[in-house]
Amino acid sequence: MKLADKDFELFRDYIYNLCGIYFHASKKYFLESRLARRMEETGITSHADYYKLLKGGAGGAQELKRLLDEVTTNETCFFRNVPQLTALENKLLPELVEVKGKIGFRKLRIWSAGSSSGEEAYTMAMILLEKRQTLLKDWIIEIVGTDINETVLAMAREGVYNSYSVRNTPEFFRKKYFKQESTEKFILSPDVKKLVTFTHLNLYDDTKMIFMKSFDFIFCANVLIYFDTASKSKVVQHFYNNLQPYGYFFVGQSESLHGVNDSFKTIHFPGGFAYKK
Amino acid sequence: MDTNVKLKKAQEMVEKISDLPTIPIVASKVLELLDKPDVELEEVADMILTDQVLAARVIKIVNSPLYRSSQEIKSVKRALVYLGFRHIRELALTCSFIEAFQGKDGAFDVMTFWEHSFGVGIVAKIIAQRARYIDTEKAYLAGIIHDIGEVFLSYYYQKDFQRILQEIKSTPYKLVDAEDRFWGTNHSYIGVAIAQKWNFPPEYCEVIADHHEPELATIDPNLVAIVNLADLFCSVRQLDYGGREWVSFNLAEEKAWDILKKFAPHMAKLDVERFCYELDDRVPEVQDLVKSIFEGMVME
Repeated sequence: MKLADKDFELFRDYIYNLCGIYFHASKKYFLESRLARRMEETGITSHADYYKLLKGGAGGAQELKRLLDEVTTNETCFFRNVPQLTALENKLLPELVEVKGKIGFRKLRIWSAGSSSGEEAYTMAMILLEKRQTLLKDWIIEIVGTDINETVLAMAREGVYNSYSVRNTPEFFRKKYFKQESTEKFILSPDVKKLVTFTHLNLYDDTKMIFMKSFDFIFCANVLIYFDTASKSKVVQHFYNNLQPYGYFFVGQSESLHGVNDSFKTIHFPGGFAYKK
Repeated sequence: MDTNVKLKKAQEMVEKISDLPTIPIVASKVLELLDKPDVELEEVADMILTDQVLAARVIKIVNSPLYRSSQEIKSVKRALVYLGFRHIRELALTCSFIEAFQGKDGAFDVMTFWEHSFGVGIVAKIIAQRARYIDTEKAYLAGIIHDIGEVFLSYYYQKDFQRILQEIKSTPYKLVDAEDRFWGTNHSYIGVAIAQKWNFPPEYCEVIADHHEPELATIDPNLVAIVNLADLFCSVRQLDYGGREWVSFNLAEEKAWDILKKFAPHMAKLDVERFCYELDDRVPEVQDLVKSIFEGMVME
């Protein structure tokens, strides 16, 4: 069913206000097709009725989670957020290395929170490995990936991916850091795997969260969208506390922390932004 | 560096160019008409109509994407009524400037330049609306012309400009700072030197001169702040001259943001993230507008 512009705006605003993820106009057809799936599943025949269900019907919160799953699944891949990675590589990382280098603290700590099957953490590992002989010579690099789901953690530790996961990976990195066994099987190099540790963590678990200390870069893409505002604020406050004073916190490509945390400052760069203490 | 020194240097660089474009004849007649105390709108419209290219541009600029929701304006006369008498002068000058630099691709192509410029115009208008700045049309036009110095440098000082662009490529260096270092002046001062030669009204000259230093503005600091912020947002949201410079900013540290918040305290609550995402959605509209302004107008 065709999603009218007016209805698109309705869904877009509702999802944004509740979850902090923005649907660009260019994603209208994508949203339309995912809505169609959910409507078929729930037996609802009009967008208006489905909207009513999300907004306050019985099981609305559950249904919203399912819709979010539909619109964010399969989004994970290597080199996913290019503007973010470019900014990090060309500006944020060199600045950080300069500051830390001056005080003689040659250690870099990175956290991929909600790491899923490890693509984000490993992307960072590859980018940093490329700087091993130059900017990061003699630096200690620690990358941590955490997730609540043991199945995806096992996949991350295994480090075997399909063509869909590497679809955005530049040729240079694909050749250098993957062994391609078949059209659908890409095995990640042990050099990259060595750099990352994956552990189980529930972001709600305060007793564990306070031990995730002193990170320079924290990534948390498409995870907070599932939390209600109060939990979101609590989790983001943990990220804030665990971030180094000169570090950066990144969310997903169309996410927003507006109204969640007033302490962070938003730093804009071409194609995106990051949060800083 | 002293602003007077920079302005003098800019004036010298502009004077050096012997074939600097002048205002097209019809546009200058329009400007003459506007100086008459008892001029009728009809008269101005008729004069504009004697130049089909000018007439078409006037209509297209006035019909920018922001207005489409209401009714499309199809005649020059209605365009002038919509815009109001007080803005015809700037509109004529803006059209003249577009005409004068048409096809003059230099270090970058003119279309990319106007995409950024019209982007800044439209975003300036949006900010003006949100801040409840009274004259949103002024914000739009001021946004369009804020960078005219850049198109001059790109064309008349092409080789030097190319070198600068090469130097700052993939480094976090602002173009305006690189220009200062290379020439001892920058596109803001060049722009105002040209704008004064062309007799742009003083508020517009001030926007051109101070859009990178809004704290220097005295005539209309709020207008300068609006254009400065629009420029920053466009530079990080795909209306960035094709990524020729690497801009990064934190609103909390921007002087223009302070100026605007003093003028419109409710702006402090702006959802900046959402604002950026909405701008992304507008990029195709801006590109279409610029294309339409140039369509079928390639000089023979």
